[in-house]
Amino acid sequence: MKVILPASFGEPQPGQFVMIRISGLYEPLLARPISIYSFSRGGDSCAIELLYSVVGKGTQILAGLISGSQVEIHGPLGHGFAIDEAGKNVIFIAGGMGIAPLSLLTEHLCRDKCFAQSAMTFYLGAKTAKAVVGLDKLQKLCYNINVCTDDGTLGKKGLVTQVFQKDIKKYLPENTAVYACGPKEMLQSLAKILSGSKFPSQVSLEERMACGIGACLGCAVAIRNDKGALAYQRVCADGPVFNLGEIIWE
Amino acid sequence: MDTMKTKTSVNMAVNLGKLKLKNPVMTASGTFGYGEEYADYVDLNRLGAIVVKGLSLKPRLGNPPPRIMETAGGMLNAIGLQNIGVDAFIAEKLPFLQKFDVKVIANIYGETYGEYIKVAKKLSIAKGVHALEINISCPNVKKGGVSFGSDPKTAAEVTRQVKDETGLPVIVKLTPNVTDIAAIAQAVEKAGADAISLINTLAGMSVDLKKRKPHLKNITGGLSGPAIKPIALRMVWQVLQRVSVPVIGIGGIMTTEDALEFLILGAKAIQIGTANFINPHATIDILEGMQNYLQCNKIKDINQIIGTFQP
Repeated sequence: MKVILPASFGEPQPGQFVMIRISGLYEPLLARPISIYSFSRGGDSCAIELLYSVVGKGTQILAGLISGSQVEIHGPLGHGFAIDEAGKNVIFIAGGMGIAPLSLLTEHLCRDKCFAQSAMTFYLGAKTAKAVVGLDKLQKLCYNINVCTDDGTLGKKGLVTQVFQKDIKKYLPENTAVYACGPKEMLQSLAKILSGSKFPSQVSLEERMACGIGACLGCAVAIRNDKGALAYQRVCADGPVFNLGEIIWE
Repeated sequence: MDTMKTKTSVNMAVNLGKLKLKNPVMTASGTFGYGEEYADYVDLNRLGAIVVKGLSLKPRLGNPPPRIMETAGGMLNAIGLQNIGVDAFIAEKLPFLQKFDVKVIANIYGETYGEYIKVAKKLSIAKGVHALEINISCPNVKKGGVSFGSDPKTAAEVTRQVKDETGLPVIVKLTPNVTDIAAIAQAVEKAGADAISLINTLAGMSVDLKKRKPHLKNITGGLSGPAIKPIALRMVWQVLQRVSVPVIGIGGIMTTEDALEFLILGAKAIQIGTANFINPHATIDILEGMQNYLQCNKIKDINQIIGTFQP
């Protein structure tokens, strides 16, 4: 969905999100956190695009909106991806809607950071061909796209993490950065694949949120802190981007 | 903001005993962080009071996630009183709040009487804390919290012990998860409470049908949001029948009208909780709405409407 916003809306960093809500409704009560997929500015307004799949009440209502409907948008929120210097190889691993922040990141690296397109490799996974979104736009930004689906209806058959794992020897940790976003299970298996390796890896997490600004402490993620102890951080305000290695998975 | 100030000719100040507030709009503990989280959205100077996230003697990790779940007209939370501890609050968070002309109320929590007292003592000598709110009502922790608040004897005892150790006004925040909330209110009033705030969240749970598991890792959580307002109104009403100390109404306040309903019943002030999550500017919107209501109805003083309920 595309949302037109006033010009005062700040330019988002890739990885940031917005809280979106239909005004005046108590049902659903809470705004939904959704990652920013694209941003453009023109004249006295700007626009963002959001990708979502219908998973519950909130997204169902969003899907039912007609063009011209009013929504409440709060953002951009959270911290985006930290970007290493140009000259490095970059690997993107996206599962499902996880393409949204990574597509914005790809765009940012190409246009604003002068990364060579040849240095970027994208692994894009989805359940089926129908669930693959954003591929057209991505193809204009990146040559090396490995598409895979769980049922083999598009690209290779298999999980995106397995496809990446087969290629992992092609990359050197010292000059490669990994950026990933997708379902928890995908990120967890990526953490296993990368554990013990030295690839600098950042992931964008998803969690249920109430406020989106760090107050409610609802979106906790378990992190290993500097002292090696478990601590809970807020996906909204301390993230949503975290170093993969510091996340404690159950 | 300035236009509002010049426009306002009505008196919004209310007194909670010794504690004087510039207006009746307070933030509910746990929904407004330590204040700084909202400083970009709200001019903190304009609030009646900021009640900060519950503070314990030592930092608390809080409960494992998932911690929240949306429900019909509300939400469940089981944060588990994650907080940085009273010492870090005094060293790191209080100096920021002192920059504002706003009453700061520290919500305190302990697992034992001794812990409540130690936290209270530390906050009483720290500069910039104007009152304490004793949390004997958190439903999401194994020890302390609601276990003190569900028995009139222990509720009175913790109130008495904290009162003995502090010169600050003491507010006691009650849980609705009891048979007779007014009996608890009477007990803490007798033990010296300067004011009573209610209600904390209602214990509830939510089931994930697909996984046949609870939505919250803690299994149960505390229900808040507009769904609980009728219960909060009923309990505030019941408590007002039985105590004479000031009562602060909390529970599902989303709009100006909601807030005014509690004042009409007789609450001297109100706390905004879950509404802050949905609209970070909710406190100010409600405050301005109250001022408009008074002006439109040609009422010069907010106190003129407090307790005007006609059953």
